[in-house]
Amino acid sequence: MSEQIHSVTGIDSRKLLMWIFLASDCLFFGALISTYLIFKGNIPNPPYPTDRIVNGEFFHGLLNIPLTSASTFVLLMSSVAMVLAVYGAQNNNLKMMKGWLLSTIVLGIAFLLFQVYEFRHFLHEGLGLSTNQFGASFYLMTGFHGVHVGIGVIILISLLFGSFRRNSLGKETGFHIETAGLYWHFVDIVWIIIFTIVYLMPY
Amino acid sequence: MNNEHNTDNNHLTIKQYLKIGLLLTVITFLELIISYIDIGFLLVPILLILSGVKFVIVVAYFMHLKFEDILISKIFTFAFVLASCILLALVSLFIYDPSISNR
Repeated sequence: MSEQIHSVTGIDSRKLLMWIFLASDCLFFGALISTYLIFKGNIPNPPYPTDRIVNGEFFHGLLNIPLTSASTFVLLMSSVAMVLAVYGAQNNNLKMMKGWLLSTIVLGIAFLLFQVYEFRHFLHEGLGLSTNQFGASFYLMTGFHGVHVGIGVIILISLLFGSFRRNSLGKETGFHIETAGLYWHFVDIVWIIIFTIVYLMPY
Repeated sequence: MNNEHNTDNNHLTIKQYLKIGLLLTVITFLELIISYIDIGFLLVPILLILSGVKFVIVVAYFMHLKFEDILISKIFTFAFVLASCILLALVSLFIYDPSISNR
């Protein structure tokens, strides 16, 4: 298939479909972030997300802001790598595309490892999925985002393996990389919001 | 092919993408510093503005929404505004009636 599939709007249908999917995902994450914010101030038992004194007893907060800042930086850099991979694909520069695609995959996996470390640490501190409302809403929201990153990594790996079979880039490959890029940047903007609301805001 | 020049396919040059990446890093670092400073009620609005700037930069330049058809912008903006309204409505509802969360 080498021709673009245009809708009555004049926009490639597949690109339009990706944007509609991302728009619907906005609502999904909106609901998850709302749930987290509602429960954050109403946690009946420890552990708590931030430092707290309850009945004269001090409880250390679980959230590790410096660590999450590092993982946020990693995801931001993966977005830069992805946009350069798209640039390479659009300019028929296979070597550049492969290099930056590989960098995006490595950075995406690094972000997931940060998340695995954080989840393990929280579990070790006694925060399970059913410990309290903070645990339930936090694991659901960040876990759902992590699944998005994982799916993105799988898509990028499949595109990278596909590119090894070619000596040049066709118009279709460039389009697939661009569409995968849209998904990847969306995952990044969702994390920008989660990082600010969950980790940086004290209440 | 000169990578530093804009072609029909490219909306920005490599140098411009790298500058945007640097700007995003600086804003994230700034957010981190501000979150440790005691600036009272200003903290939340400042953090929201900074993360909003990052959001708009990524959507406009990395996702190329600035250069796309207006229909795509309308679809995405509508969904984002709707999601924000749902968030505000739910959070406001629970703030004004905390007993709801205990039911």
